[in-house]
Amino acid sequence: MINTITGILSSAVMMCTPLFLGAIGEVFSERAGVMVCAIEGIFLLGAWGGFVGAYASGSLLVGLILAVIMGVLMAALYGFVTICLKQQQIVMGTAVNILAAGLAAFFQRVFFGIPTVPLQVKPLSHIAIPLLSKLPIIGQVLFNQNIITYLAYILFPISFFVLYKTSVGLTIRSCGENPASVDTAGINVNRVRFLTVIIAGALGGLAGSFYTIGYLGMFTTGIIGGRGWIAFAICFLGNWNPKGALYGTLVFGITEAITIYLQSTQNIPSIPNEFIIALPYILTIALTVSKRSFAVPKQLGIPYNKEL
Amino acid sequence: MEKETVIRIEGVSKYFSKVIANKDVSFDVHKGEIMALLGENGAGKSTIMKVLYGLYTHDEGQIFIDGKKVNIASPRDAIEHGISMIQQHFSLVETHTVTENVILGTVKGKINMSSYNDKIKELCTLYGFDISPQSKIRDLSVGQQQKVEILKALYLNARVLIMDEPTAVLTPQEADSLMEFVKDFASKGGSVIFITHKMREVMSVANRIVVMKNGRVSGIVNAKDTNEKELSSLMMNSDNESIKTSVNAPTGPVALSVNNLSYIDKMGVKRLNDVSFYIKQGEIFGVIGVSGNGQDELAEILSGVINSGTGEIKLDNKDISSLSVRERIESGIGYLPLDRLKDGMIGDMTLSENLMIKESFKGGRWVKNGFLRIKDLKNYTEAKIKEYQVKASGESDLARSLSGGNAQKIVLAREVDAAKKLLILNQPTRGLDVGAVDRIHRIVISQMHEGKAVLLISTEISEIFDICSRFTVMYRGKLMGIYNNGDLSISEVGLLMAGVQV
Repeated sequence: MINTITGILSSAVMMCTPLFLGAIGEVFSERAGVMVCAIEGIFLLGAWGGFVGAYASGSLLVGLILAVIMGVLMAALYGFVTICLKQQQIVMGTAVNILAAGLAAFFQRVFFGIPTVPLQVKPLSHIAIPLLSKLPIIGQVLFNQNIITYLAYILFPISFFVLYKTSVGLTIRSCGENPASVDTAGINVNRVRFLTVIIAGALGGLAGSFYTIGYLGMFTTGIIGGRGWIAFAICFLGNWNPKGALYGTLVFGITEAITIYLQSTQNIPSIPNEFIIALPYILTIALTVSKRSFAVPKQLGIPYNKEL
Repeated sequence: MEKETVIRIEGVSKYFSKVIANKDVSFDVHKGEIMALLGENGAGKSTIMKVLYGLYTHDEGQIFIDGKKVNIASPRDAIEHGISMIQQHFSLVETHTVTENVILGTVKGKINMSSYNDKIKELCTLYGFDISPQSKIRDLSVGQQQKVEILKALYLNARVLIMDEPTAVLTPQEADSLMEFVKDFASKGGSVIFITHKMREVMSVANRIVVMKNGRVSGIVNAKDTNEKELSSLMMNSDNESIKTSVNAPTGPVALSVNNLSYIDKMGVKRLNDVSFYIKQGEIFGVIGVSGNGQDELAEILSGVINSGTGEIKLDNKDISSLSVRERIESGIGYLPLDRLKDGMIGDMTLSENLMIKESFKGGRWVKNGFLRIKDLKNYTEAKIKEYQVKASGESDLARSLSGGNAQKIVLAREVDAAKKLLILNQPTRGLDVGAVDRIHRIVISQMHEGKAVLLISTEISEIFDICSRFTVMYRGKLMGIYNNGDLSISEVGLLMAGVQV
């Protein structure tokens, strides 16, 4: 029993990692006023880039770097059309997501054809932290994870500190609430927004790679399966702050871990498998609908026009 | 006495696509002086100041600061030269604290909030501002928010302070306190440029007055050598005689009666507190108050946009409080909302379509057998354009292509027709120039003569004094008494607007 619970929690922490990375990136960009609606596509190309980099070079580090680059490229494209060309964010996000899905499928086929056996890389190994990993349960759950998860641990306090205790954070938060105030303070609003979108892209790309080289060791075009959107929803549910994003992530991560556990055991035949797979998505809808008050950044989704 | 010149603007022009916003504008600003930039709306006052502040780039001309030619490409450049601008619409982040707003853009790296709080506190004490650095902007009054804007400038060591229509949103008392600050600031060696269209203000504080008309400087005069008549002839294109209607209290039957109306909004704030009044047929009833004291909610409840108020609303003795917006329109209520572009019209539709919009339903005026009577509508629109002297090329113009005053006339034309019994006007002349204001007042008065009841919400005391027979003052959702026009002086009304009983 203890082993089962430890197993579920440990896998929950794993499943939390990419969601948290994506959600934090989204928190930064949305606080600055831009919804990165391209997040699903960024996740997907991150996953693909991570896999290709690792498979081609044999080095997981190259995979990680390529994943981040892919995420940044997609984010730059999205940032260019939404911030510089001031196009509608949801429409552009949808377009970028479709583009990403097409690109991933196309290049996967171009590079690898249709292999008879799924191509695999050896996923990132778990690193047991000396001493801490020996703690009962907690050690196994928290301190025997891969490098991306440890990055996520560090990211939480950093993101909180940057957002609330530094001038950069003040500027970012002001950009989403009243960009005119940032402009009159002599700061380039669009540059701030673009940079936060790039950060969201880098984190999103890294998050995507977690599914390929951090976990499964392989790539399929459906590998993200809406998890980018879940990270997007977590940002909303977490009220646009890192702490909220953390709580939101935990809820989803644990649900996903339970889903995986239930799928792997055949104990409850009365619940259809499809329902279990759908659980995280049902939860997304239920939580979003039931949430009462949102502290939405006032200018979220609205391009900043100076000469008006 | 020759004063040191801080800023010299020489031959500056600014074009917006085809429109000339500024043409060949030149003037100096001296150290320690209060300079007023006077002109009607659209005269180009704000534009030239936005050029000086780096928000707009000018197309021709030069700017000198301390005798050196400068290139001000962004507000940051302006700030470095010691120029700060208090915009008409504050650029404050409402969810942040005073300190966070003031230090935005001036700090680097980790923020030690408590030391900044102390600094802001000191600055407040120095200039006699009663503001706590830790309070959130959304909890402050408009007057205090303006002080925060000023604090931002002071914190940046501004020596030239540009204020765009600073008193437009203030009570008379708040305005007085602002003037005190302006004089204090100038006496300490700073320069103030004061953009306004109110002559009284200009005469009371300014040392020198630059008058603008149609984007050009039409005169530069010393305040002590001029008078209001000369200024107004410099400002205006043609002589506008003001209308003072003889307002006799009407004796007809009551059209609208409102009893014990209260309203609590979604955030739990009591916006209307036990409001009761009546308006007779053929009467203009004024509601004056500083924006945000419940006037908008009152208008929206009467027109049916908000339907969660409690209390009794009777039109011609019939209870209408449970009627929908549509049913209220049908019972003869016309409503001109505060934000004409957002709530009054659809910018991307033509003038005809905008005139049709309230009667385009089954049974409405412009529907016959399920089809729109396009031809009749077009003729009607052309007729209204003539009647209201709207500056438009025709009925197929897009609504957003009209200037503020002309757009307002179109909305007013529609509402006047819809208002068989009651016309609700929420700040009908806000942001309009003298000519358009005059035109709109005449229309409103003609409606009164036709026997309609008019509810006029305004923030300008003079507007209420000019055309209302009775009025009330609103403060924090309560009526501060109902008065006949002539009962109170301007300063008494001002006190009531600030919540002080007289």
